[in-house]
This record gives sequence, C-alpha cells and structure tokens, in this order.
Amino acid sequence: MERKGLLISPELCIGCKACQIACKSWNLLPATKTRNNGSYENPPDLNGDNFNKIRYSEIPSETNPVRWLFVSQRCMHCDDAGCMRICPAPGALYKTADGAVAVNKNKCIGCKLCLAGCPFNVPRYGMDDKLSKCTLCADRMENGLIPMCSKTCPTGAIKYGDRNDLIGKATKAGYTKVYGQNDLGGLGALFAFKDAPKIYGYADKPEINEMVILWHKYLKPLSWIGLGGVAAASVIHYFAVGPHKAEDPNKDKEVKK
Amino acid sequence: MRLNDRDMIRKETTFGIVNHWTLAISCILLTLSGYGFLFQIQIIGTMFCGFPAMKVIHNWLGVVFTASLVLSMVFWLKECITFDKDDIAWVKAAGGYLSHKVAIPPMHKLNTGQKLAYLGVLGMGFGIIATGFVIWLFPANQTLMIWSHFLHNLCFIGMALFIPVHVYLGAIANPGTMRIMIYGTVPVWWARKKSPKWIQEVEEGRHH
Repeated sequence: MERKGLLISPELCIGCKACQIACKSWNLLPATKTRNNGSYENPPDLNGDNFNKIRYSEIPSETNPVRWLFVSQRCMHCDDAGCMRICPAPGALYKTADGAVAVNKNKCIGCKLCLAGCPFNVPRYGMDDKLSKCTLCADRMENGLIPMCSKTCPTGAIKYGDRNDLIGKATKAGYTKVYGQNDLGGLGALFAFKDAPKIYGYADKPEINEMVILWHKYLKPLSWIGLGGVAAASVIHYFAVGPHKAEDPNKDKEVKK
Repeated sequence: MRLNDRDMIRKETTFGIVNHWTLAISCILLTLSGYGFLFQIQIIGTMFCGFPAMKVIHNWLGVVFTASLVLSMVFWLKECITFDKDDIAWVKAAGGYLSHKVAIPPMHKLNTGQKLAYLGVLGMGFGIIATGFVIWLFPANQTLMIWSHFLHNLCFIGMALFIPVHVYLGAIANPGTMRIMIYGTVPVWWARKKSPKWIQEVEEGRHH
C-alpha cells in the first residue's frame, strides 16, 4: 500500500483551530482547562487530550511587522520512529499499513520512555497513565476515511493523500524543499515551510537522541552475544581445565577402617 | 585447639543464606524481565502476566533486590574490602582457574576472586538500582531518563555477563561450594584447603 501522509502548509492556515476541535470530536477527548497566557495559542501545549494544536508564532519579517505564523503541531509519524525504537512493550506502538504510528493503549505499560525517544517532543500521557497521541486517525484510514483534521480544514492547510503525491504537489507549488521529505526515513507529516523551519518551531535536522541509537543499535546485541560468550567459555573451561576438586585427605583412611 | 577434619564448620549464617537466595532469585527474575523489555520478547511478557504487569513486577522486584543487596553488605562488605599480599599473588596465579598446576596462595574465608566479584556486583548493582529508580520515579525529565536508561542497560550487560560466570564457578567449577548456599556449613578438611587462613584463625581462637 502507498504510504499516506499529511501536507501541512502554514501559509494557508488561518489559525481557526477547527482541526483541534474536529480531532477532539472524533477521538472523544474532553476539553482541557486552560488559562489566558497572552496568546491566542490555546491550549498552550499538546497534552493527553490534545493530539493536535496550532502553534502561533509571532515573528515579524522585514516587510511585515505583524506576522503570525500558524503551524499544526502533532505526531510526525516518522518512518524511523524514535518512540518505537525505545518502547519496551511489543505492540504498544505499531505501524499501520498506511505508515501511521498508532497506539494500542492496552499494551502500553506507562513507562514514558517514548518521551525520551521522540525528536519532536510529541508523546503525552492521559489520565490513565497511557500514551495518548495522534494516530493519523488510523481507525478512519482503515475504513477509507481521511483524518479528521484534514477533513475539517477549511483552507486546505492540512492536505491528506499518498505521501509521494503530496511531495509532488508541494514541489509543483514552488517549494524546493519539503520539511520531512527525507528526515528520519521520511516523515508522515510533511511541511511546506516558506521560511527556515526554526522560525516555525522545528529543528533544521531532527534526529533521534544519539544515546538511544548507541544503545539500541550497537550495545544491545552485546547482551546476547556476551551471554552466549560466557556460557561457551564456561563449558570450554569445564572440559579444558576442569573443576577445582578438593580431595578429602581422610578418605582413604576411612576405607581402610 | 585443632579442629577435627571430620567435623563441619559453619561458613554462612541462616540469615545470610536466605538473603543470598533472595538476591539470586530477584536478580534472575529481573534479568529475565529485563531481556523481555529490551528485545520485546512476547513469551517472557506472557510468563509475567503480560507487559503491563511485568513492568509492575520488575519495579517491585527491584525493591526486593535493593533491600537484599543492602543487607548483604552487613554480612560480606567488611571481609570483601580487606586485601593483603596473598590477594595480589592470587590474581597473578589467576586463582588457579587456568591451570591446576599453579600454587594458590593461602586464602581467608573468601578468596580474592570472590571478594572482587562481590565488589563488582555491589558496584553494578547500585548502578542498576539508582538508574532503575530514576526511570521509575522521574519519567518527566527526559535528559535524566535517557542517561539513566543508557546506564541501566550498561550495568545490565555487565550483570548479564558476570552472573553466569559466578553461578558456574560456585555451582560447578568448585565442587563443595554449592552446599554453603544450602546448609551454610562445610567440612573442616575442605575449608582447611580452600580457606587455610580462616581455619588457622579459628584454631587460634581469633575468630569464631
């Protein structure tokens, strides 16, 4: 199956937050109690009940003293997902046939290691202490429906489709570089940034923490190899050198008696 | 007073034996569930009633392991940090493990290998304990989490390599040692051979 994805265009986003509401509506998520923090950005951060949020960045440019940048912030559905690398519970995080990184709450053990594995600071935990995040509406996709955020977006700022088509569309629209095209094996959420990613709140080159890679790729196999090695060494020692037998000096006397 | 070779002498207290078994069993179960988490091994998860239950069991077994390791210091630490020139000779002779022809210097109650092994378990054990509690109790701090996770796993490799060697040497490679962990007593003639300095002290009345 073709890998599906989202193409997010901040230039088209009007910051209406319809996607936030639609997401809550489909995923049956309650409202979050929040407070005015001097910005229309609301709620201030992703949480277990907010899988998707519009980030409001107020960054004036040379020509435009009042510039608001809106960008949909959510799980990026990485191909090489740090959360999946670090997760100790099989099946808690899984890839759907469409390439979405989905969650099975029943299998999540609540260890919060995925927080450390994610390069985008996305995973959040719900009140049940289980991972609670955007699944790209994997349940809808399975049934031929498009993700709720994309369906509801009135300006086409969140486009859903085959990932390759989306990249093609963005290129045709004049974006020479699509954010997420090649990072981490290719992100499921692509961004058509007109400016540097940093201005929108994203790292230029997102990477999984090197400690996670070092352990899971290089050190982890050592625990098996080492275990086999010492077991083999013990067997070899037993036959090549043999055990330290301590003979009872009185054994013979006892026999003579 | 010379001890009779036919007699038995107590080398480990009952409390010490129970504590050693507590340490051993909790360590083996922790290692097993640790492998389960590390490689996402479904069958190990099933043995522990599923992964969510295995996480709870792993954490609380860690508490048992911690308590047991702390208690073990009461029995073993003092002797295990006492070294003399015979210990250096023991290391040079590799404890006689590589050849039966080399002369092994006289040892006290525990030989140099046992003492170093204990210090190794203590070091790696407290490393794995400290990082384990951080992973359990402070999951919100990601930097702490990543470093603890890394060090927890590093100590895990150390333990996973070391414990089988320890079991092999105690249970198979040195006949007569295993009974200490069961009865706590050894024949005097055996102790005279393995721990001559200890027996000498007992006979001179300097040790009980």
